[in-house]
Amino acid sequence: MIEKKDIKRLDKYLYEIPTSHRDDMRVSARIYADEELLQATLSDRSLEQLVNTTTLPGVVKYTLAMPDIHQGYGFPIGGVAATKPPDGVISPGGIGYDINCGVRVLASNIEREELAPYVEDLLLTMYRLVPTGLGKGGIKISKGEFNKVLERGAAWAVGQGYGTRQDLERTEEQGCLAGADAARVSQRAKDRGHKQLGSLGSGNHFLEIDEIVEVFDQEVAEVFGLQQGCIAIQIHCGSRGLGHQVCSDYVKLLQKAVRKYGIQLPDRELVCAPFDSREGQDYFAAMAASANFAWTNRHVIAHWVRRAFEEVLTGKIRSWELTQVYDVAHNIGKVEQYTIDGKRHKLVIHRKGATRAFGPSSKELPKVYQGLGQPVLVPGSMGTTSYILVGTDEALDLTFGSSCHGAGRTMSRTKAKKTIWGEDLQRELKEQGIAVKAGSMAGLAEEAPAAYKDVERVVNVVAGAGIAHKVARLDPIGVIKG
Amino acid sequence: MEHMADVALRVYGRDWGEFIVNAAYGMFILMADWEDSPPSTEQEISLQAIDGETLLVDWLSELLYLHEMEDVVYTSFEVLSISPTTLRAIVRGTERWNPQTAIKAVTFNDLHIEKTPQGYTATIVFDT
Repeated sequence: MIEKKDIKRLDKYLYEIPTSHRDDMRVSARIYADEELLQATLSDRSLEQLVNTTTLPGVVKYTLAMPDIHQGYGFPIGGVAATKPPDGVISPGGIGYDINCGVRVLASNIEREELAPYVEDLLLTMYRLVPTGLGKGGIKISKGEFNKVLERGAAWAVGQGYGTRQDLERTEEQGCLAGADAARVSQRAKDRGHKQLGSLGSGNHFLEIDEIVEVFDQEVAEVFGLQQGCIAIQIHCGSRGLGHQVCSDYVKLLQKAVRKYGIQLPDRELVCAPFDSREGQDYFAAMAASANFAWTNRHVIAHWVRRAFEEVLTGKIRSWELTQVYDVAHNIGKVEQYTIDGKRHKLVIHRKGATRAFGPSSKELPKVYQGLGQPVLVPGSMGTTSYILVGTDEALDLTFGSSCHGAGRTMSRTKAKKTIWGEDLQRELKEQGIAVKAGSMAGLAEEAPAAYKDVERVVNVVAGAGIAHKVARLDPIGVIKG
Repeated sequence: MEHMADVALRVYGRDWGEFIVNAAYGMFILMADWEDSPPSTEQEISLQAIDGETLLVDWLSELLYLHEMEDVVYTSFEVLSISPTTLRAIVRGTERWNPQTAIKAVTFNDLHIEKTPQGYTATIVFDT
């Protein structure tokens, strides 16, 4: 286990474990945290897992932990690592089983008081229209058409009449990661995904009606479409069984690749292959296809949310609209360019429980956000405060353009279920003015706010370190979880 | 058992076959509760792996896949033949069950199958 004495403080919110800590470290490990969050990381194996990521072949500069770090498998959750081809590897453990688990936020001009009489109806309608839990998805298509979902992503959904082109513009990678190849996805993964396309899933995934309770940066909030006192929607879900299967498939396949390429690893879940190898390219293509499935999934769920609003509010509230702010991935692998020691390099960026946070200079952003920065969506756990931040140019240098993704767990699911009753939690949240619709009370208990870190602390670290700036704070008034 | 982000299960078995069956049973106990009633469905599973840990992960992953595709919780496991790296079994299950913890995948995280004088043991971490 890592101890406090192994960690050097570099700055107010930045710590480092130097390469002298362990013989197999190729680069140092950096942690963004305050004192309290750092102390909390010493109680699990997250920092040991972070140190393990520094042993990956081709890893550059340093690997990173965001302040919402907690123990995962292979990489910690809240981990970022960059590797440089051709020796640099790609590792499924650095992306996660739920490929492109992420968040989409829609904002409206509807004031909370206007919506108040209709919140319960809206929740029930969304619960009816958006499949949740372990069940099937809401879209039935042929297997041939399904391959197009994997290769075209959310653009496929627009072609089918779901959502708008503007939604695509305001989605990371415009809802489609280039390089996807449906042929690299196993039939088993496709079977799982085909059954679940258009569904929220369960676990920590949720659909939330929020009020924008505080605006920190009026100029940016206006461009993002965020108005204090008005309603926003958050959709938090990922690639469902398809992504899980793709990760499982390639963790198994790459066990052989590790031996073939003579790679020594401290943890079997860090299995990997050189990015430029056939195995590495196959995984990337399958991972990209899974990411595209997840974007399509969030895109159609957003469409059904809009339909729910139409069903419930038409004729009851003056003209309104639900506009997409942005959609971000927080479990993904990307190929991006960074300057290291004065030279530009193409790097493979692994973000596992971390969000891209590009700044005003980035040309990757929709035109309307260029000069401003990318919305960084940070959901708190179900039923707690969430934040919308904006990325900075400094983040490119500090964290490979990456930020935190959420609150991070402090209590295991086992303990949460033993100590918290779902029915009690539902009642407590209702007393706080938060209506909850859940498919499983046990599942609800696992996601209790008490089981998570304080997202405000996490966001304060990120803002204090200059990685991203606060734009708005959102509080929930209604939650659906599977 | 406690595991921060996910769920971990400690499994024991007096022999390799019992260990494999207990791992499956334990996974479904985490995932669901069900009534005691005769199974309504059965499947045969046949696996070959490079080592014991991979066989275990493949076995549980196969059951997870079937659970998701068939909407069945498997409650009975009959091992027809088994070796350190191969397994053939008939699994039987029920469609009448209620969800508990949703398991997304079986991981290799910290997976080391220990052989002791009392039998086999391991801790399996599931992604949830």
